[in-house]
Amino acid sequence: MIEHGPLLERMLEGEFICAVTDEHSFNKLQNENLREDLNHFLRPLNRRIAKSEDGSVFFLAYHELTEPARHQLSQQFGVTIQSLLPMLEWMQLVQEALGRDGALTAGDTIKLQEFSLKVEDNQSLRQRLAMLSADKVFKSTSDQLDMQIKQVFKRIRELGYLHQPHRDRQFYIVTGKIEHLIELVRFIKDEENLPLDEDSPEQGDMF
Amino acid sequence: MNQHSSLFQLGRERLALIGKHSEVLMQGYLNGHIDESALSEAALNKLIDARILWRPDEQAPLSLRPVMGELIASLTRDERKRQINADVAEHLDQIHTRVQSLQAARAKGDYAAAEHHMQLLTERVHDMSGQFGDAIESLWHRLNTEFGFVSSLDDKIREIELAQKQLRRLLDGFGLIDFDQLIALAGSDGSLRKLLVSQLQARISEHSGSLLEVQKRLVLLMARFRQQQERALLVSRMSAFLRQHPNFQIGDYPNRSKVPAVVNQAKEIRAAAAIALDRDSDSSTLAQLARAIPRPEQDVTPTENAEPFAAPEQQLAERVQKKLVEDVENFFIAVIDEGNPVSALDYMNRNDLEWDPEIWLFQVIAEYEGMASDEKRSFRMEKVTRLASRFNQVRIIEDVHLGLRFFGEFQATG
Repeated sequence: MIEHGPLLERMLEGEFICAVTDEHSFNKLQNENLREDLNHFLRPLNRRIAKSEDGSVFFLAYHELTEPARHQLSQQFGVTIQSLLPMLEWMQLVQEALGRDGALTAGDTIKLQEFSLKVEDNQSLRQRLAMLSADKVFKSTSDQLDMQIKQVFKRIRELGYLHQPHRDRQFYIVTGKIEHLIELVRFIKDEENLPLDEDSPEQGDMF
Repeated sequence: MNQHSSLFQLGRERLALIGKHSEVLMQGYLNGHIDESALSEAALNKLIDARILWRPDEQAPLSLRPVMGELIASLTRDERKRQINADVAEHLDQIHTRVQSLQAARAKGDYAAAEHHMQLLTERVHDMSGQFGDAIESLWHRLNTEFGFVSSLDDKIREIELAQKQLRRLLDGFGLIDFDQLIALAGSDGSLRKLLVSQLQARISEHSGSLLEVQKRLVLLMARFRQQQERALLVSRMSAFLRQHPNFQIGDYPNRSKVPAVVNQAKEIRAAAAIALDRDSDSSTLAQLARAIPRPEQDVTPTENAEPFAAPEQQLAERVQKKLVEDVENFFIAVIDEGNPVSALDYMNRNDLEWDPEIWLFQVIAEYEGMASDEKRSFRMEKVTRLASRFNQVRIIEDVHLGLRFFGEFQATG
C-alpha cells in the first residue's frame, strides 16, 4: 500500500488521473484488484475511486451520499455549470482556429503560438476570444490578444482540462477530464430532453 | 527476334521520353492538364505520338493518358487518384484462353509457341495476384494515414465508405476464383498445377487474411470518426442552446435520490501533518528541519501566522465581505465630501477598487436601502438602467448615481 501513497494523496487532492497526466498511474489503476484495495483504504474517508464512462479518466467520488457530501456536490455542480458554456465555447474556438473538425479529445496537442497566429488573423475569432476571456470564469482584463490567450489557457489548465508538459514551453495537451465534461454534457442533453439532435439550433442565430 | 528488338527499342525510347519531360508531365498530373506553352511543338507531337499525352476532345486541353495517370498515382502512392481495380473475371477468362492455346501448342509439338504461352500465362497469373496485392496495399496505406489525404471529417467518412465498397468488390473477386475449375484446367500438368493452384491459393489466402484485418480496422476507424463527429455536434449544439436560453435551469442532480455517477466527484482533501515530538527517533530530523527554516526578518502578528492552517473558506469570505462593506462606506463618505452626485462605477474605477461591478453596485444599493430612514432621507439615489432587450422588459441596472439631498432637493446629475 505504501508505494501507492503518493498516488492516493494526489487523488485525494482532487486530481484526475488519465493517460495524459500520468500514464503510469493510469495503467496501474486499470487493475481492478488494486482499485479494490485502494477503495478499502478510502472507505473511512467516504471516498471511492470512480472512472468516467469510457474509462479514460479516474477520480474520487463519494462512497456514501451523506448530507454534507450532497451539499458539496451541489456547490461543485453549480461551479461546473457556470463554466460549462465558456468551456464549450473555448473548445469550439480551438477547433475552428486550428481547422479541426472533430471536437477536442484527450491527447490532442495545442500549440499556443499556432493558436495565437490563427486567431490574430481572423477578426471574428478575435472578437469571440475577447468576449470569452472577459467571462467571469477567465476574468481577463487585458485587451491584448496574447494576454487573453495566456489567461484563458492558464485557467483551463488550473481546472484540469489541459496538461502542460513543460513549464516554459507553450504547448498543452488535452487531458481525460475533458471526456468527463463531454459525458456530463451528453447526460444533461439526455436528462433534460434537450432538442439538440435536430438541425434546428442554427435557426436561433438568425435573431 | 527482329520484332522483339524493335519493340525493345521503341519501349526504351518512350520511357526515356517520359524521363526527359518528367517535370511537365508531373505538373500536368497535378493540374489535370498540360501547359502547352511549356513544350515545343515538336516535343508535344512526340509525346502525343508516343501515346503519353492526348486530347480527350477538340476543345479540351492536352492531358495525360489515363494509364500514365494511373502509373504516376501507383508509383507515388497518391491515394486521391490511385485506382483499385481487380477485375477478376477478365483475368480468369484470359487465363482460360491462354491455357487452351498452351495445350493446343503442346499437342502440336510446337515447343517454342508453348513456351511463349507459358510465359504469358505466368505473367497473367502474377498480374492478377499483383493487382490484388496493390489494391490491398492501397487500402492499408489509406488506413495507416487515417485518410489524411482529405482533411474534413465528412470527407474521411465518405472515403471509408468508398474503401468498404472496394473491399467488398475485392472479396467478390476472390469468390469468382473457382479452384476446382482451375485444378481441372491444369489437369495432370505439374507446372500448370503449381502456377494455377498451389501458388495462387497461397497468395489468395494471404490476401484474404489481410483484407479481413483491413475490414476490422475500417470499422474501428469509422466508429472513431463517427464518434468525433457526434462530439463536435454535441459541443456546438449544446453551446448554441445555452446561448439562446441563458436562463435555462439544469436539474438539481446532486440532490436527487439517485445521484448520477457523472456528478459524483468528491471534494479534495489535503493531507496535512504537523511536527510531533513524541517519537525520539524523529527528533534529529525534525531539529534539522527546524534549523533550516528561514527566520522571519520582522515579527509577524501571530494571528496571521496561524491563519493558513485554520483558514476555512468562510473566514476568507467574511474578510472579503468586510472589505467590500468598508469600501462602500468610504464611497458614501466620499459622496458627502463631494457634495455633487457621484457615479458609483466611476468612483470604483477612480479608486482602483477591484470588485466585480455587479457586486459593487449591489452592495451600494444594499447599503443605501439598509440605512435608517432618517439617514436615508439625506441621500438620493438614481439608478441608470437599460432594457435587457427589445423583447424583454426586465431593466438592468448599469450604474447608480448617489448624491446628497439638501432640504429635499436633489441636484440634477450631470
